[in-house]
Amino acid sequence: MFDYHAIAPELILGVTLIAVVFIDLILSDRYKYLVGVTALVGLTAAAFPLLTLAVCGDLSTCADTGSRVLFGGSYVIDDFALVLKGLFIVVGVITLLLSVGYIESDDYYQGEFYFLVLASITGAVVMASSRDLITMFIGLELVSGPAFLLAGWRKGDTRSNEAALKFFLIGVLSAAILLFGMSLVYGLTGEVTFTGIAAASAALDLANEPAFVLAVVFVLVGFAFKISAVPFHFWAPDTYQGAPTPVAAYLSVGSKTAGFVGLLTLCYQAFGPVREIWGPILWILAVLSMTVGNLVALRQTNIVRLLGYSSIAHAGFILVPFAMAATYDSVGLEDAFFGTVTYILIYAFMNLGAFAAVIAISARVGSGEIDAWGGLGRYSPNLAALVTMFFFALAGIPPLAGWFAKFVMFRAVIGAFSSPWAIVLAAIAAVNAVIALVYYARVVKTVYMDPIPEHADADSPTVVAPSLKLALAITAVAVIVVGFFPQILAFFGDASRALASGM
Amino acid sequence: MTGYFEDYITVAVFAAFGALLVAVSVGASALLRPKNPSATKSQTYECGIDPVGGGWSQTHVRYYIFALLFLIFDVEAVFIFPWAIQLEALGMFALVEMIVFIVILLAGLVYAVRKGVLEWES
Repeated sequence: MFDYHAIAPELILGVTLIAVVFIDLILSDRYKYLVGVTALVGLTAAAFPLLTLAVCGDLSTCADTGSRVLFGGSYVIDDFALVLKGLFIVVGVITLLLSVGYIESDDYYQGEFYFLVLASITGAVVMASSRDLITMFIGLELVSGPAFLLAGWRKGDTRSNEAALKFFLIGVLSAAILLFGMSLVYGLTGEVTFTGIAAASAALDLANEPAFVLAVVFVLVGFAFKISAVPFHFWAPDTYQGAPTPVAAYLSVGSKTAGFVGLLTLCYQAFGPVREIWGPILWILAVLSMTVGNLVALRQTNIVRLLGYSSIAHAGFILVPFAMAATYDSVGLEDAFFGTVTYILIYAFMNLGAFAAVIAISARVGSGEIDAWGGLGRYSPNLAALVTMFFFALAGIPPLAGWFAKFVMFRAVIGAFSSPWAIVLAAIAAVNAVIALVYYARVVKTVYMDPIPEHADADSPTVVAPSLKLALAITAVAVIVVGFFPQILAFFGDASRALASGM
Repeated sequence: MTGYFEDYITVAVFAAFGALLVAVSVGASALLRPKNPSATKSQTYECGIDPVGGGWSQTHVRYYIFALLFLIFDVEAVFIFPWAIQLEALGMFALVEMIVFIVILLAGLVYAVRKGVLEWES
């Protein structure tokens, strides 16, 4: 009997996808938001099998415990996969909540929008479990394909067209580089599953084979585009700015995390024996992403561009423990893995919250330019408080959630190990954390201290769509509670440790 | 490594003979055939019927949706052929699998029809 329980989340998402298409056909324009509601129900339903899979050991009806291996090792449901699937579903729910009011007020198709968001989430959920090159590539394309369309949703807007075209061209380029790397890996090892690649590369001593080094570099570059690490980041700020803001929120969290999932599983499992190849590359990517992302963010005047560069910088921070993993033994390696996953989990809530606040304020002020936000604290104190909270969380100020992400990052780098490279990396990360505070605090200063611009409409009441309120509430509660009780999310990061322990 | 490159000698010889064959056959026919050009002979050959329009004529952009739909069902056919050959060996499971696959594709077709994609005038 095939283990249907193990792929129940994917099956539910697949059925919901088809249901969403049909419900979109039946409904008249006025009730299109119900399509979004269906997608939300589907996502929530898909979360339940995740819970039963996670607690399977305690259930009497459930025979198998531990990780489940399907399709000959190509598809593995372990704790890491469950944690990341859960994160993708939460990201999907929040993205839909951000979109419902936003897309309704636009004069473009609605039903298809929810369908595409759901399709992209499904791809991400598949990626979290995929443990061979082909499944991973299909998952990655399922994440990116709908995202290209979503970026160009406002097709009457030239910026949106520019966003979609840049994203599409870069996405296709990165897919080609990735595929070329994967084909070389397959050619040299004769394996597509990650465990097979790891065994073959160790047995054949491929670490010194130039063609294999080239293959690993190509695969890394392909994923570096997806996570928008410098120098492969050019598309990100333009795409975030041109795309509808909820889509930018999804791209900076969902799509980026999918890239990290691919990078993590590939590097730790398939390329585990050849850590000396990818370690230095990730070190350079981490340093460049942090430094360039933060320095360019200092000069931004548009809030979405600022968040775009900030998300590039955060990709660098996430890479920091990962970059030093190459020199670790098994215990330090697990710490590094834990640091990366925990940072991703916390970053997802902070960044989605920041985007939710930006959507609410941009709707209130009517502009995404930071200058137009002056004096917001006087006529809309709640929104001002929210944006302050999320931006300080991103900067890493205690007691908001961001401090713990930074803490585990630094601990993973300098805690278990003292090499000059680790100390240099930690020093660069520390300097960057300070630079980041400057531009986050500048927005807060504008909101509270600058005068209200003359043409600003300060008298009308502040109206926030109910779904957006819910999204703000979820992310705000998460950012505050995790700040005081970081073990809530650290527990999930801890659970996923096992993936790195096999090396 | 030398054995690896020696294998390429076969490829090189094969390529040389291929080029030679084309040169000899085309060259010989150019020398031997009678030359009698006419307007009809220099027309573009398009499966036998008279060509319509020039080589740079434009195609209506609406065709691309038909092309996409054609592609989807073309790929479906690619999957169905090997399935049909192995159906008896695979049994009931494969039948249900293919029905699920076709139903999902049909859902796409229903969507396309309802959205008016197949109507030429709009």
